[in-house]
Amino acid sequence: MRDEYVARGPDSGAVSGRLWEGNNGMAMQSNPAGGTSWSLRHALGRLSQEEVVAALTVVLLIGFALALPGFATTANFVDLVRSISKLGILGLGMGVIVISRGIDLSEVAIMAGSWCVALAAIPRGLPPFWAAVTALAICVAIGLANGVMVAFVEAPALFVTLATAFVIYGAAYWVAAAFVVYAPQDAPGLVFAGRGALHGIPMPILVFAAAALIMHAFLSRTSIGRFIYAQGDNPDAARLTGIALRPLTVLEYVLVAALAWLAGLVWIGETGNMQMSIVQGTAIFDVILVVVLGGISLVGGRGGVFSVVVGCALIGTLLNALTIMNVNSEVQNIIRGVVLLVAIILDNWLHPRDEETARQGD
Amino acid sequence: MFSERTLTTLSAAVALSALTCGPIVAVAQEETGTKTAHELRADYDKNLKGKTIAFLPIATGVPLMDEWGTVIKTEAEWSGMKFTIRDPNNNPSAMQQALTALVDEKPDVIVVQNPSVTLLQKELKRAEAQGIHVIQMNMSSNYKSDAFVGADWFEVGRILAEDVVKACGTGSGASGEVQIVQGELTAAASVDQIAGVMDTLNKDKAIKVVSNQAAQWDANNALNITATVIQQHPDLCASIGFWGIMQSGAAQAIRNAGKIDKVKVYASGEGSQLDCDQINQGNFYKFLSYTAGEQGRDAFLAAVALLEGDAKPGSSHREYYTRPMWLDKTNASGANCYAVLKPPTPTADATAKK
Repeated sequence: MRDEYVARGPDSGAVSGRLWEGNNGMAMQSNPAGGTSWSLRHALGRLSQEEVVAALTVVLLIGFALALPGFATTANFVDLVRSISKLGILGLGMGVIVISRGIDLSEVAIMAGSWCVALAAIPRGLPPFWAAVTALAICVAIGLANGVMVAFVEAPALFVTLATAFVIYGAAYWVAAAFVVYAPQDAPGLVFAGRGALHGIPMPILVFAAAALIMHAFLSRTSIGRFIYAQGDNPDAARLTGIALRPLTVLEYVLVAALAWLAGLVWIGETGNMQMSIVQGTAIFDVILVVVLGGISLVGGRGGVFSVVVGCALIGTLLNALTIMNVNSEVQNIIRGVVLLVAIILDNWLHPRDEETARQGD
Repeated sequence: MFSERTLTTLSAAVALSALTCGPIVAVAQEETGTKTAHELRADYDKNLKGKTIAFLPIATGVPLMDEWGTVIKTEAEWSGMKFTIRDPNNNPSAMQQALTALVDEKPDVIVVQNPSVTLLQKELKRAEAQGIHVIQMNMSSNYKSDAFVGADWFEVGRILAEDVVKACGTGSGASGEVQIVQGELTAAASVDQIAGVMDTLNKDKAIKVVSNQAAQWDANNALNITATVIQQHPDLCASIGFWGIMQSGAAQAIRNAGKIDKVKVYASGEGSQLDCDQINQGNFYKFLSYTAGEQGRDAFLAAVALLEGDAKPGSSHREYYTRPMWLDKTNASGANCYAVLKPPTPTADATAKK
């Protein structure tokens, strides 16, 4: 069983690509006049979505480097990667939960709420270290609550986490009662993860890289990680093979919350504040965008850490270039939406729904 | 004419009468006071006491709107009025519904902040047709109601830009490169402010606007845009932001790039302690405050004028413009920075429907 799930691991897109190759063989027999469009799809179908997105990113990078003065510099590249680090860390958490066939719409609220409450306590005498611990404790508690509601009460994750987001938003306001909470100026340790640098590399990049490596090892090299893929692939089969799905689900939601805490730690250092209003913005959809874009399918069991990385890279490249071109952020939103649509359509074209992946509503 | 003795006797008598009668007169005044004072207050009470003032901001929990609400509530309750508040929480359709419900409850005055120039237009007209005075705060709709209270955004933009031209323009020896961080392109506060800024900046050939983008009032968006801009334009002279809380993100990006002492960060805003902290930490070079507390008081005074006046709702227009005030390290303290408070709650019996 284990080997089977290794094959379904982070490079599962490639696996489904090969499966698709088989299907295509039959399609060609029934329709030999398919011609060139079929072979293009056939050739692209061999690629996983990660590889398509990665290739697209490289094409864009080369294009911008040739056409846009000031784009192809080391400093700009560092800035580009730095700007997607927080989104990437949040994406790692969302990735895990989507792989398990769940979703967590409260991730941004967990990040903002826990850190708002913790930062607001600092001026009242809480030492920065204990503020960070408090934020982590709040995150874990919310993750536990989400997990228990989904796993044991068996409420749909979409509604549970949507409701949790509202509760967190209200509760954080009630406790912290501030539209924006600023990070303390005299706590270098607390803001280091967002503001510091090692050998000239900004800390947010290093934190994202470390988190990505750890999550990759967790998902592809540990049994629990394999179980998460098994759960996303086919929950009933996973349960029948003896995986304790309920505790596993709780663990997943706690993991998302812990990564939200980490993203918050970077966020407060980098921006110097935490603003509850981000909960009401499109931040959570940006997170889902990079996850889905990179090939972590909403049907579960597909994609991996590399998906999040390439999804972030594509979005980061686009946004960086558009900012250099002085394109307004409203137009940037349109382009972001179009990119997501294209990714979804491309995914459908390359990997059509079949009995295995179809779900109610498809 | 009078002998010295008579004079002495007279003055003694005057002194005596003053000693004896004085307290009697004084006592009489303590008991009843002057007639005028009574009449003035009676007139004030007749017009105000028991009346209801409703406040409908875009959202509560924001320092600007909470300060308005708190000042209006404090003043209204002191004068014997009832205060009520609705929180649509940034949701335009919730705001429309809240206004419709408010109009049906028929308060005497509605103080409203418009998220756009058209959203509430019709409903505000209906309110005045129903006999409710409407005061629009800071962001007006296309409908001119009984009163407008707030900043003249074109003027705010012009004052910001004039200082930037002085610091970065011809003869300053600086690069002349300027970044502008707008709020939301559709909000009146952004539209008029950018008009004032560009009108002034365009007059100086040395000024070059290298980036003019909207950050949706969000500090993190401002940070990401500015991190790229400062990297592409290391000689940036000034950054202008249309709201303090958003612009703190731009300032942080410039600080992260190690350029906070070289780039002059400007912002306009309500002037809360949060803004003053940014000034005192050296993030903001100069801050143009439109003093939210004064605006709240202006709104209440506009309500008093409307309730005491004879003009029917919808028949007159009054304007109460706010005088913007520069804040920098020399004066960003004390009364110039108001403390951030919790959102106000309605007066206990104002929640009951009429």
